[in-house]
Amino acid sequence: MALAGHSDAGGPSVLLELRGLDKRYPGTHALKSVDLAFIEGEVHAIVGENGAGKSTLIKLLTGAVRRSGGAIVWRGAEAAIETPQDAIELGINAVHQEVVLCRHLTVAANLFLGDERERAGLLRHSQMTAEAQHILDDMGFAIRADALLSSLTIGQQQLVATARAAQRGTRFLIFDEPTAYLTRQEAAALFTLIRRLSADGVTIIYISHRLEEVFDLSDRVSILRDGQLVLTAVTAETDEASLIRGMINRSIDQVFHKEQMVRGAVMLETRKLCGRGFSDVSMAVHAGEIIGLYGLIGAGRSEFASALFGRDPATSGEILWDNSPVRIRRERDALRLGIALAPESRRDQGLALSLPVGFNINLPIFHRLTRGPLLDGRRETTCAERQIADLSIKAPSRHVAAASLSGGNQQKIVIGKWLNHGARLFIFDEPTVGVDVATKAEIYRLMGKLLREGTAIILISSYLPEVYELADTLHVFARGRLVASHAHKAASHETILAQAIGG
Amino acid sequence: MSASQTPPRKRFAVPFGLTLVLLLALLWVLLSFATHNFMTERNISNLARQGSMIAILALGETFVIITAGIDLSVGAIAGFITVVVAGLLTQGLPIWASVLASLGIGLGIGAFHAFGIVSMGLPPFIITLATLTSLRGIGLLLTNGATISITNDAFTEFSLGDVFGVVPNLFAVVLAVALPAWLFLGHTRWGRYLFAIGSNSEAARLSGVSVVRTTYLAYILSAMCAALVGLLLASRIGIGNATQAEGWELQAIAAAVIGGTSLFGAVGSWHGPLLGAFILATINNGANLMNVNSFWQRIITGGLIIVIVYSDQLRRRKR
Repeated sequence: MALAGHSDAGGPSVLLELRGLDKRYPGTHALKSVDLAFIEGEVHAIVGENGAGKSTLIKLLTGAVRRSGGAIVWRGAEAAIETPQDAIELGINAVHQEVVLCRHLTVAANLFLGDERERAGLLRHSQMTAEAQHILDDMGFAIRADALLSSLTIGQQQLVATARAAQRGTRFLIFDEPTAYLTRQEAAALFTLIRRLSADGVTIIYISHRLEEVFDLSDRVSILRDGQLVLTAVTAETDEASLIRGMINRSIDQVFHKEQMVRGAVMLETRKLCGRGFSDVSMAVHAGEIIGLYGLIGAGRSEFASALFGRDPATSGEILWDNSPVRIRRERDALRLGIALAPESRRDQGLALSLPVGFNINLPIFHRLTRGPLLDGRRETTCAERQIADLSIKAPSRHVAAASLSGGNQQKIVIGKWLNHGARLFIFDEPTVGVDVATKAEIYRLMGKLLREGTAIILISSYLPEVYELADTLHVFARGRLVASHAHKAASHETILAQAIGG
Repeated sequence: MSASQTPPRKRFAVPFGLTLVLLLALLWVLLSFATHNFMTERNISNLARQGSMIAILALGETFVIITAGIDLSVGAIAGFITVVVAGLLTQGLPIWASVLASLGIGLGIGAFHAFGIVSMGLPPFIITLATLTSLRGIGLLLTNGATISITNDAFTEFSLGDVFGVVPNLFAVVLAVALPAWLFLGHTRWGRYLFAIGSNSEAARLSGVSVVRTTYLAYILSAMCAALVGLLLASRIGIGNATQAEGWELQAIAAAVIGGTSLFGAVGSWHGPLLGAFILATINNGANLMNVNSFWQRIITGGLIIVIVYSDQLRRRKR
């Protein structure tokens, strides 16, 4: 790979260069005079917290917004990237975190959208399907080209988006958190593709919160903080700790914040619980502890949690709550007991994004905020403001729409909802997907706070370091069964992975 | 933490509501100069009567639209109810019983809509389109296509009367519906739930909100408002005829949309549809006074919908 050090970063191998690139939005200075050069064929990782300026950088490069100052230089000549079309003509493409494709069309139709194969004005369906299948097979993605996009998992849709971006003459490809929803196999296929594209001379920007991926894939890495470029380094010459220091000015030990709690009484117990996607699961959850559920997607951990929350009720077995048997048939049964779920997809399930922050926080407890038939405005305000303050939710006010907040702050709203509700058992389903290191640390600290108040937590995660560091008891799921249980840090990463894969 | 400055509630709704009030006032000023008989007591009370029925329909419709649904049946319900109440009064039933029975039928129709949506999984557009056509059919079948005249004078006089000699009864009914609607939408949890399921019904469900009950509530309220309008209409025209109130559902939706209600759900107010309805009524009334061709009235109304909703879009985009 043609990777040179800093010395000749201005040499002929530079494909794209940012000179003093600047972007101001009303009220914020999102990108502050960034100078950065991308060498042809390199994989350049960019890390930084949410709000550090990464998305702004992508938007500028893909023509979604216009710069306020500075220049973008493409192969030595200044390029005016004013519209998405300009970017595409240069060969700049991006794979976004949220899939932006048509769910009702087939995979092949999506791959060729805007670039259809026609003869005499009519679409050549079979040719496009065959070509699409060839492209997907070639990339090592196990996806059928004639499947409807909506029938695929989010991870597979992400791969289709990647294939779409990669196959249309791309010279410069930007990945924004591409592995957030991918399984391990899918991620592996994606990495292979990225390495191949890079070997073919495609320049790649890789944005991820998962630092191990940055070290695995990238040649160089740049850190953004508060819209400024902190440093650019050859990846092999740096380490995780210094990256995190650069991103947040804080050391790594403070990220996984684990407090030693006194374990309380048994709160929830399941006995040979069976349901759709899992069977024979027995476990106990005590007050003051974090139960980690680890497993690959489809291993049954999320399905088990769904049963506890009444979304997909258990078919047989027993659930005991405070030592007495209960039946949880609907969400409302679970809520009444004090079980709350922070779902994986905040966008689809967790929040009413178009409505105000305060509205979302109070949504589960409106029935308690009434005086007679009417709502008590003052108590509404108090309840919302208390959560906003306690969780330090960064919002200009409780009246702004939840959609205008960052992912981390949205997650806090979900938690605030349930704190308000007075839940005793929190089920967190992938709470830190797509969340930056600082917010992660904050969410973990919050879990500590929840535990101190006598609650229990079930933490579901596909991210092993997270459950590994935090869970008092770690249950490993594989093929719908609970295959192993470990005390805090009692087993190695390798053992746990092997159990999750091998079953 | 920068969340301490608290702007006034509903920063969005008030200015837009105010623009509508100003628009209405502007229309009135223009019309009082352009015509000699607009600002007469008789015309104003006439205008209040004309706008009242669409206003109530639009208000009911707004409850449904806030949940991201639609109710196409409201005009048909109103027409159907004129037949029902005329028939009941002809049978000699007292007024209070006929009114209660009519509202009860409205409740039943709304519940049927919600049943179709919740239990049969039909889109709101489809189930209410189905009742739109079939209710008119049932009404015609009941009367064999004939018109029933209402001979109960006490019932028909209601629409001519007024409160304290100034406020026409029909307009008083609008106020009587608007007050509870204001409390309901802004100050009760069920009102909030309408917005919640309109914004994201899955999130609402996971928060313990009963989406089923809220859906029933919205469609029942809409259908009962329509039944109420049917009663007022019967009182005003003195007959029962299933083809009455043709196309009123579209006027009601237009009034709601002019009043700032978003067809995508989760945006709407109690006062918007009322103002929207009276803006529409003013335009029709003014056009009549100025002898504008009634075909032109329709075109003007259509253009106005585009202008008002587009300016609302622009205003939202700026934020």
